[in-house]
Amino acid sequence: MRTLVLVAALLAAGCTHVAPYERGYLARPAMALEESQGMAHAMEKIYPSKEAASGGAAVGGGGCGCN
Amino acid sequence: MAATEKPDGALGALMRAALALPILALAPRAGAAVVGEVGASVLGYKERGLMKATEPILFGHAVIDDVWEVEASAVGDILTGASPQLVTNVNGQPMQVLTGASVYERRHAGDAKVGRRFGELTLSASAAVSNEHDYHSKAGGLEARRDFNDKNTTLTLGYGRANDHVGSSIDPNLDAPRTTDQYLAGVTQVLSPVALVQSSLAYANGRGWYNDPYKFTLTFYPDQPLPSLLPDLRPDHRRSWAWLTRYRRHFAAQRGTLQADYRYFQDDWGVRAHTLEVAWDQQLDERWSLRPALRYYTQSAADFYSPVIPRPAPRFQSSDQRLAAFGGLSPSLRATLRLDSVIVEGAVGYVHDASSLRLGGSGTSAFETLRAVYGILSVTYPF
Repeated sequence: MRTLVLVAALLAAGCTHVAPYERGYLARPAMALEESQGMAHAMEKIYPSKEAASGGAAVGGGGCGCN
Repeated sequence: MAATEKPDGALGALMRAALALPILALAPRAGAAVVGEVGASVLGYKERGLMKATEPILFGHAVIDDVWEVEASAVGDILTGASPQLVTNVNGQPMQVLTGASVYERRHAGDAKVGRRFGELTLSASAAVSNEHDYHSKAGGLEARRDFNDKNTTLTLGYGRANDHVGSSIDPNLDAPRTTDQYLAGVTQVLSPVALVQSSLAYANGRGWYNDPYKFTLTFYPDQPLPSLLPDLRPDHRRSWAWLTRYRRHFAAQRGTLQADYRYFQDDWGVRAHTLEVAWDQQLDERWSLRPALRYYTQSAADFYSPVIPRPAPRFQSSDQRLAAFGGLSPSLRATLRLDSVIVEGAVGYVHDASSLRLGGSGTSAFETLRAVYGILSVTYPF
């Protein structure tokens, strides 16, 4: 845990500090890192069912027998 | 190979439990503030000559008192068409042969996630189920998210476990388990008032049944009177790494946002893959936005992939072209309409996977080009 806090502190030190009142643009939907729920679930199986690679974004999701 | 399907009561029960329990337990307190959304979406997917899929989805998300967060969804897949069954070189070159029977399959899936915020720390638990007549999956996950420095930096740690059972329409005795442990560590960093980046590393360690029960290879040799026939034979374990980095940058003067996602994947089957998606979200006016995007994918073949059975026959062998070396380009366009009471999103996309699109051009020659189109319509009601 201490290592993680140190990593976070080092990362934070190298970047501009953005105060809560300056976060207007960051809150825009287009700035979201994840898709909207409706789009995310629809997109979930399109590529992974045809490709060998998967994952990277979240854990705890089940698989599908996509054959 | 038509499948008869019984309705799955477990899914309905899971959805009801996930949606109702935390809200009923907490919201009736006087003054509880509940903010969220519910919605529905549908995906239509069609491959040229092969599969067609229709997928209706229901979803909901709510934040209660700025402390509890609940999320749930339910999915129903309907698949029709043909999936390649046999790779054979009977005509000289390896080719995919489709099953003569038409496939009809239904899949039900659902997931739920509950999180609670303790100051800068949020702890969440999630569960997911997925059921088809020949495949059952149950998964659970735990996640810890910690904000630092006025939410300029966020650390995320996650653990998940999936338990799958693989069956087969053509082998009623098959009921093979597979267990996968998943680990995730990620950092999200605000770079400026208009830019942020997220990078996460995921590791998965799976063991159990990976063979595809519907895939076979039939190989003829010029010096052998009879061909060799092998089922799909894969290792009983798979360890993989995925490193995903996402970047978002808003350009206020142009009223647009650049979105770029890159993922590197590698596993102990020999697969190495790169995925890059770049999109531009253009605000047209107060209600409409348009998002063109282009996704490029490239992968190397698994060590045991081969469209023909080598001699002597190896311990592991698969002609499933999802394990071949190939690349893919997928352009897409999404339009969003945001009104006070409803958000409507529509997207269309095209998927083109081919041997020639592999990075460096050295894709598997036996890879048969995949062409598919998809359309998504999603309606969300915020409350």
